[in-house]
Amino acid sequence: MNHFPPKYALKFLRWFCREDYLEEIEGDLVEVFEKRMPRSGFWAKVYFYWLVLRCFRPGFVKSFIKVNYSNTTIMFSNYLKVSWRNLLRQPFFSSLNILGLSIGMAGALIIGLFIHFELSFNRSFADSERIFRVNIDNKIAGEVNEYAAVSGPLANVMLRDFPHAESITRFRHTNSIFIRSENATHNVKEEQVVGADSAFFSFFGIDLLYGDPHSALSEVNSLVLTKSAAEKHFSIHEAVGQIMILDNDQKYWVRGIIDDFPKNSLFRDYTVLISINSFDDYDSPAWNNWNFPTFIKLNPEATKAQLDDYLATVKERYLIPWAMQFIPGLTIESAQEQERTTGNYMRFESIALTDIHLKSPNISGEFSLNGDIKDVYILSFIGLLLIFLASVNFTNLSTARSLNRVKEVGIRKTLGSHRKSLVHQFLVESGLVSFLSMVLALLLSFLVLPYFNYLSNRSLEIPAGQWQFWAVLLVATLVLSSLSGSYPALFLSRFSPIKALKGQGVQPSNGAHIRSLLVIVQFMVSVFLIASTLVVFQQLSFIRNKDLGFKKEQVVVLNDVQVLGNNALTLKQEIEKLSNVKSVSLSSYLPTPSARSGLTYFPEGHVFEPDKAIIIGQWEVDFDYLRTLGLELVAGRDFDDKLKTDSSTVILNEAAVAMLGKTPQSAIGLRLTQDFKREDKENMEFSTVIGVVKNFHFETLRNSIDGLSLVLGKEANRMMIKLETTDYSKTLEKVEQHWASVADGQPFDYYFMDDSFATTYDTEQRLSKMFIIFTLLSVFIACLGLFGLAAFNVQRRSKEVSIRKILGASVFNISVSLSAGFLRLVLLAILLATPLAWYAMNRWLQDFSYRIDLPLWVFVLSAILAIGISLLTVSYQSLRAAIRNPVHAIRNE
Amino acid sequence: MSDRTLGEFEELVLLMVAAYHQAAYGVLILEKLEQQLNRKLNISAIHVALKRLEGKGFVTSSYGGITNERGGRRKKLYALTAAGKKALDINYELRTGIYRQIPNISFGQ
Repeated sequence: MNHFPPKYALKFLRWFCREDYLEEIEGDLVEVFEKRMPRSGFWAKVYFYWLVLRCFRPGFVKSFIKVNYSNTTIMFSNYLKVSWRNLLRQPFFSSLNILGLSIGMAGALIIGLFIHFELSFNRSFADSERIFRVNIDNKIAGEVNEYAAVSGPLANVMLRDFPHAESITRFRHTNSIFIRSENATHNVKEEQVVGADSAFFSFFGIDLLYGDPHSALSEVNSLVLTKSAAEKHFSIHEAVGQIMILDNDQKYWVRGIIDDFPKNSLFRDYTVLISINSFDDYDSPAWNNWNFPTFIKLNPEATKAQLDDYLATVKERYLIPWAMQFIPGLTIESAQEQERTTGNYMRFESIALTDIHLKSPNISGEFSLNGDIKDVYILSFIGLLLIFLASVNFTNLSTARSLNRVKEVGIRKTLGSHRKSLVHQFLVESGLVSFLSMVLALLLSFLVLPYFNYLSNRSLEIPAGQWQFWAVLLVATLVLSSLSGSYPALFLSRFSPIKALKGQGVQPSNGAHIRSLLVIVQFMVSVFLIASTLVVFQQLSFIRNKDLGFKKEQVVVLNDVQVLGNNALTLKQEIEKLSNVKSVSLSSYLPTPSARSGLTYFPEGHVFEPDKAIIIGQWEVDFDYLRTLGLELVAGRDFDDKLKTDSSTVILNEAAVAMLGKTPQSAIGLRLTQDFKREDKENMEFSTVIGVVKNFHFETLRNSIDGLSLVLGKEANRMMIKLETTDYSKTLEKVEQHWASVADGQPFDYYFMDDSFATTYDTEQRLSKMFIIFTLLSVFIACLGLFGLAAFNVQRRSKEVSIRKILGASVFNISVSLSAGFLRLVLLAILLATPLAWYAMNRWLQDFSYRIDLPLWVFVLSAILAIGISLLTVSYQSLRAAIRNPVHAIRNE
Repeated sequence: MSDRTLGEFEELVLLMVAAYHQAAYGVLILEKLEQQLNRKLNISAIHVALKRLEGKGFVTSSYGGITNERGGRRKKLYALTAAGKKALDINYELRTGIYRQIPNISFGQ
């Protein structure tokens, strides 16, 4: 056994220990070791390891950051020091710079987060890039409709004979439900409920928090809740196995709990999944029941084109043979012939899961409200503009201030600076400003994000935990600082030292062209945005105040009246007796936009003639519907509760009458049928047109008015109450009392119809608010730049101003001469920006069926605003200079 | 170093440095303290205390000559500074001062 301390322990000690401590520590440890050796060599060695480990503490560990005392490092720290001093020496310009830049950056950062969120939609699911949904694209009677849900049998058919299908999952749309646990009395309403099959979990790669993925949705009357939905009833770990009551009469078992769906997925609002075989029609062979959203996951090597090719064959192989059972004489050939002659069609199409959110419009049966790739483009554009405006400010202010730095450059060059090191110096300066701005921008966006989330209806957050975010931020800052810093750096470092020191280096006009150009561009952007915002506002207020053809004011809507059953009618009669109530109507249909299906009507004598058919909506209403909503009849009469025969009558709107090729007067008495599928043709039921209502808007004003039929019906889940008072609360209180007496604990849920109408234009409202905010930001940034330039201009010309004043110029003369240059630039910017804004807003308005003509005054107003704002900005500085006592400027030379 | 206070263990180490002025080094202090306190100490604890004391300006250090002990590694010898002496004095006065204020307490044997 040797008497030396363990080699590896010593190596380790020498590796980590500070050099100035090493000899002492090593010596002492060895001495302790040597003294212990005689007792037990083994334990002495073990103890030595222990001692070395005990020395491994922060105070004794050497610095592993190699201190590099090379020239570059020293120069870099010197650049940094000089830059910092320069910032502090000019606090006014520095803060203008940093403020402008950080506001621009914060705006761009938030927009960036928004865009990232939008683009990440539906990508969190397993194999999302291989998942497609089958849609139906349908054109009948000149009208094209798309559906996000397809026929029930399609899923099985695809699984059977499309070889590239890896797996398929199928949903079934259903309405909102009332749900309570078995022993609770109060119901909770869940708005977003869907039937799902047992493949759902593995298909989308969703894990259950509790429950078994294979059985959770495979049995009848099973349901799976999201965590937040389950927590309303029980603590989630004991939820599985509980019994829940749906809509007061159906017993369901909770078989699983999943996490809430990600906010950036199409299922984001869904809270309850019901096993699909709980629905009666889940295995129905009917191809005309388009209630089943169907998703397919392709094999890795398969393509969308293969899927589309396959889908194109489905109709002839399955749908038409099925339809032949009901339509006598229908053959595949005759169906094809019909398509050719009428231009009608119906086809299955696929859309990639990742394209649904941004690249598909809000079609019928869509799971949740989609975004719009156009918004993403517009916002990216605005984000880039903001950054651009802010860096223009930086460039402008830096070059303008170059005059003050000329002497410094001269002296540095005389002392031996290369041009390269001067460029570095100025780049470090812009880097410093950019980094300070970025820190401020982060802070700003952190503060503003909750408000932006509210505006955009998204849930964005700063991903502080992700290194990618910081990497992108860092790179963006570097790029920005070199972009905005490179021109001043090259410009400033160019001066020849002799001229610079003699004071002839720079004429005031140096770089003036570029500065003017940049100011023009800045104000072009501002004028463009101001004009656009004004147009957007005009259009939206036009929409809001347009006569919709019905009276939405003073109408209270009670939801979920169907839970009352037969008591609904009693309640209606009770409420009609109340004072201040004009009329009450029971119906499921409101003139607010929602998914609607079309029904085919044939006029009598033209049954089965496709080009005579009209496809229009059908609303089941009651006798008081027209009165309650204030719909106007242009011909015929309203439903009459004294006439029993009115159950087979129909009221059309003007659009439907036009589709029939009739005038309102000539349409009265026309007989229509939608009962053409029955076997015994002679008993086909017809409805007589008894009235025609004036067109009213029930879609958003983006669309024109569709055909519509009103028939009498009993099913109703809403009650509309037209009030005759503005004292809503008292009447509502009485209504609620009546509700409570018949409702047996069902929640009282009501809203005002005009409120709900306001939410229809939510997207536009939000967009317009975002527009305003970013417009204000960009105008503010542009003004900051102008303010800085004007301040600098005044500073540079202070002697000139003083001499002019002494020679007798008035305050007015002087401020005009100081402001005129800037004003000229702004005017030029207005001239250039107006046609651009005109063109862009014309394009935007094309989207609306009902739109304003582009008003001229919008452009005049935005020009006046731009001039006004820039005058205010500049004249503050000019006036200050003009009023100042000339002595201050010329007392020292 | 603005921190001029003495921790308890630091004070003990400083006392040892004072007692073996200019001859004190790590292992010596370790052994003497272990004798006095009658408990096992770790050498790195002594090192930490010494570095802190040096940082506070209470001791100075210098290398001793090369000997055959310790595999030829020099000892680092510690000496008390005036500030160190003063700190010890203050602590001593403080303690004896307070100690004198203890009234005669009978613990009733």
